[in-house]
Amino acid sequence: MDTPISGSVYVAPSLSTALDALHEGGSAAAPFAGGTWIMRAPIRHEQLKSRYVAIGKIPELHTIKVDADAVEIGAAVTHAALATALAELGEFDVLTAAAGHSANPAIRTMATIGGNLATTAFAAADCVPALLCLDAEVEIASRDDRERTSLEQFLTMRSTLAPGRLLHRIIVPRRDRKTVHARLPLRRAGDYPTAIVSLAMILDDAGLVETARIAVGSVEPVARRWGRLETALIGHPLNAAKAAEAAAELADEFAGRDAADVPGWYRVRVLPGLVRRAVAALGS
Amino acid sequence: MGLSMTINGDHLTSTADPVTPLVDVLREDFHLTGAKPVCREGFCGACMVLIDGNPTPSCLIPAALAQGCDIRTVEGLAANGRLNPIQAALEACDAVQCGMCFPGMVVSLTHLLTTRPEATRDDIRAALTGNICRCTGYERIIEAALLALATP
Amino acid sequence: MSDASATMNFRRRDAADKLRGRTRYTIDRYLPGMLHAAVLRASVPSGRITRLDTSRAARMPGVRAIVTAADAPGMIGIGIADHPLFARDVIRYDGEPIAAIAADTLMQARAALAAIDVEIEPLPVVLTMADALAVDAPLVHPAWRNYEVLLAGGARGGNVAWEATVVRGDVDVAFARPDVEIIESCFRVGRQNHVAFEPRAVVASYEDGRFHIETSTQVPWTIRNATARLLGVPASQVRVTVPPVGGGFGLKFDLAIEPFAALLARASGRPVRLVNSREEEMLTCLFRENADIRIRSAVTRRGEIVGREAVVLMDCGAYGGEQIFLTTMTAHTLGGNYRLGAVRLVSRAIYTNTAPNGAFRACNGVYNTFALERHTDEIAARIGMDPLVFRRRNVLGDSDFGATGQVFEGDVLGPMLDRMDTMRDAAAIPPKRTDGRLYGRATAVGTWFVFVGPSAATVNMNADGTATLVTSGVEIGSGSMMQALPQIVAGTLGLAPDDVIVRAADTDAAGYDVGVGGGRTTVSLGAASLSAAQEVRTKLLKVASEMIEAAPGDLVMRAGRIEIAGAPGSGRTISEVATRAQAQFGPVSGTGAFTGSGVPAMPGCVAGHFIDAIDIPVFAVHDCEVAVDTETGHVEVLSYRVVQDVGRALNPRAIHGQIQGGVVQGLGYALHEEVTIGSNGRVRQNGFETYRVPLALDILPVEINLYEGAPSIGPLGTKGAGEVPILNVGAAIACAVANATGKRVQELPLTPPRVLALLLDREPALSLPHIADSWIDNLVRPHGTAE
Repeated sequence: MDTPISGSVYVAPSLSTALDALHEGGSAAAPFAGGTWIMRAPIRHEQLKSRYVAIGKIPELHTIKVDADAVEIGAAVTHAALATALAELGEFDVLTAAAGHSANPAIRTMATIGGNLATTAFAAADCVPALLCLDAEVEIASRDDRERTSLEQFLTMRSTLAPGRLLHRIIVPRRDRKTVHARLPLRRAGDYPTAIVSLAMILDDAGLVETARIAVGSVEPVARRWGRLETALIGHPLNAAKAAEAAAELADEFAGRDAADVPGWYRVRVLPGLVRRAVAALGS
Repeated sequence: MGLSMTINGDHLTSTADPVTPLVDVLREDFHLTGAKPVCREGFCGACMVLIDGNPTPSCLIPAALAQGCDIRTVEGLAANGRLNPIQAALEACDAVQCGMCFPGMVVSLTHLLTTRPEATRDDIRAALTGNICRCTGYERIIEAALLALATP
Repeated sequence: MSDASATMNFRRRDAADKLRGRTRYTIDRYLPGMLHAAVLRASVPSGRITRLDTSRAARMPGVRAIVTAADAPGMIGIGIADHPLFARDVIRYDGEPIAAIAADTLMQARAALAAIDVEIEPLPVVLTMADALAVDAPLVHPAWRNYEVLLAGGARGGNVAWEATVVRGDVDVAFARPDVEIIESCFRVGRQNHVAFEPRAVVASYEDGRFHIETSTQVPWTIRNATARLLGVPASQVRVTVPPVGGGFGLKFDLAIEPFAALLARASGRPVRLVNSREEEMLTCLFRENADIRIRSAVTRRGEIVGREAVVLMDCGAYGGEQIFLTTMTAHTLGGNYRLGAVRLVSRAIYTNTAPNGAFRACNGVYNTFALERHTDEIAARIGMDPLVFRRRNVLGDSDFGATGQVFEGDVLGPMLDRMDTMRDAAAIPPKRTDGRLYGRATAVGTWFVFVGPSAATVNMNADGTATLVTSGVEIGSGSMMQALPQIVAGTLGLAPDDVIVRAADTDAAGYDVGVGGGRTTVSLGAASLSAAQEVRTKLLKVASEMIEAAPGDLVMRAGRIEIAGAPGSGRTISEVATRAQAQFGPVSGTGAFTGSGVPAMPGCVAGHFIDAIDIPVFAVHDCEVAVDTETGHVEVLSYRVVQDVGRALNPRAIHGQIQGGVVQGLGYALHEEVTIGSNGRVRQNGFETYRVPLALDILPVEINLYEGAPSIGPLGTKGAGEVPILNVGAAIACAVANATGKRVQELPLTPPRVLALLLDREPALSLPHIADSWIDNLVRPHGTAE
């Protein structure tokens, strides 16, 4: 039902005022970023919170800082802004593609990177596996402190994050790597992907895989790294067919989530193909 | 205390609840029924409006965040009632059927025309990923966008 | 008659306002003092209401009226009156209405719904047709015998809501012939949601002792009559008017939420607005029904179909609704396309504890065409004949018998297949494929027909030289009311179509009409309008002949003038003549009426049918090429071609628009749009995230060829053109995917998971054990026997 429930929205002008408001609101309050998830609460038959702290107008949460050894992304950076900002940096192809192809064009100008990472119930978030394979870290702010943690760690604790805390920044280390994002929607575009394979590879001088980061999204409720496949690829040249073969052998470690539109087996079954496509896109 | 915003050049105030979707404020407070609340999820695009120049599904914007914004709805795109280039092209191509999606189509394509004059057929199709039409099969809409782009 | 002038690519007059956001659909109507309504719906699929107390809700803020089953004594239905407005005592589907509330605001109305005290004791559930047909299955309508029968002749029994049969010739003998192969195929299709962008919406008021219902519908007269029946008031107390409709596709071919608003308006004395939420639309759609089909043919090795039998199970959901009527159509859709020796078909509407289904563009035809064409390919493969050669050998031609024994006129499908060959041959040769995908092509044939039925029209000639056309037709987006009808009137009277004013539907102003759907608008409303315009023409020519001093037979009407034939500029303007006529005799008007001619069937062939034969057959030939991704199951459509029988194309450009749109809607049905029902009886796709309609990136431009000249009783030789484009799409795609993959395609939609499962042989071939092996064992009672 499309019932708007009454509530209040505080449009925070700065991070500190946002954190104060979240602190004071306690469990009745929640941050409001792009709104593309929260405003759809009625279709999920969820109650809206009584108090929202809108963080979309806080300048420092909108910045993308590109340094020599890391990129820092404010939590309220939109998908569209992120895709544009990183377009020229090849090592971030995976993130540019994730941010630049999610949902649809208008949603990409609203949905934020912070919202994408913090929404526990959204299994098909594109940026989560993309950032996992980039070894991203996140910074969580509260009125009294800042805590930095790996994205992997954050994903395990995000649903139980204490009130008053806000994911405010994502830090992505810079490396000389090749990256790619392979996503599979049911239509050509415009849906959430049924499965995602995000890849980041560092090759040695001989062209062999030195480090591999492979993350799988949308298949299970929470995106995760595919450690066994990473191990299988290390020390070998990039080869799409061989990578797909290895993926096929290892894919049964995933328990695909069943949904109204996609059966769990399908999400797992397409993984080798996505791995093949991803590796092939890296140029081999 | 009301929420004030500029809509099609008019300064307007709403007393709507702050989390009310903008589309309901437009329709019920301001009687601008062009934007259609079809899916209320940001998938269909029928409620698209320009907020500070950007196409935005007005179902996903709470009224509180429209405060102070410059909003243009489909009603504000035909200056003095004259169809703008994409509206004229859609009419010339006999693209309209039931018409419910067109307010959003017009908003998205008006933006495309002004920001991406070099857009190709595939760019247009991609730009319409968030605008569903159930009647036309899209082809006439794409044709009209190409016609409008080609018309000086 | 100057009918040539009726052909044109006339632009629709409603486009500019629609493009400016000015058009006021029903959802955009807000009346002063209007209340907002909401409906309490059941959240179980089957149960007994043990307590219903609205007293607490009545005290909630803003509440002005509450209505329940006690306020709506009547029952409605097609063929059989099985459907009350509100659940009475028993809940039969998840989402069934229990009560409705009107309040000052929508939020108040919805809050009050939660304050209705209702207790429901669960009852046994049948969710599938297999469940419903099981021995000792719980009955969805235990009292089915007591319902009022509105049309005699349909066999019924238990969970079989209606049964229609066709028997022509001796099928047993045909199947026993030594020279035939027996080919049997099973198919299953899911439901399809129309996703009309304007949901069902109504604003009702109660004025001077009558109901005024403004509603988003295709059938104003059905709304009038069915509302009256449910409310127990004379039909003349209900007036229905229809603003522009934001999409119909058959969804709005039946009564929906109108009576709730009407009852609340009477109870409150205020106008009441009721609009379905998108979720209500998704869950209680009146979907295109799911169906299970078994078809079996006896075919000689030389390709003659000597016998055919089929069982079609159509899920009508909790109430019979349109499916009762649609059982009739199997004879012409599954029994269409091809010459058959002996034939027997049974089409059964089955009750289940699921949301009722309804009509959807080319109802029943899309899945029967899918089944028939896939079966046809399986036949061709079995006897080793090229599928196109087999089709060409067997398509219906001049003087051939249809399934019910009607005689077809003219060779239409054969030349249409030729034309498709020409189109296909003219296409560029596709480049070599090296991407690892599987490629396939198919050509599929389809038979549809125009629902003719009664229509009325009045043309008022205005003294200023314009004409006003008054009908109960509705503009649902197809353009019939904006283009075809004014073109027909304008062509008859020598006016510009812009000078024909088209009155929006109002049951107080125009006569009875079956409704806008089934491809009948241009035909039935068009014929009534033509006849009304001809009466005006005759009257005007008589007056003009005195003014011009020439015999009426020597006069023509063109370009706003009545002049002597061959002497342009002679005579008078139509306005002058109309003004004179008005002064002398009073205003000039004409009325017209039309209905089907009633083509005969062979006596004894049909039982339980609402019509025996088809007045206006419509044929279509589709051809497509697909590529199938073996890793993901994605199907890409590479080309799509349509040859469509249109009789005569009054507005070719508008028809092209209908074909492109209909094909894309069919691509949704074939490839993307899936409805499933959970174990709780609720449709699982509740919004646009999970129900996927084609987007701009998923479609392609359809190559179109309009086939003109086939016989038609339609005005100026027209046939309906908007309904049929969706007919063959599921068939063409399914056959092409089967050809590409070498797999037996038995189900639609071909979503990527379903195609991948097929490629991987993940599931056993579909069998339908709830369809009895022997055809006759599927019948409630033998064909042609009385109750």
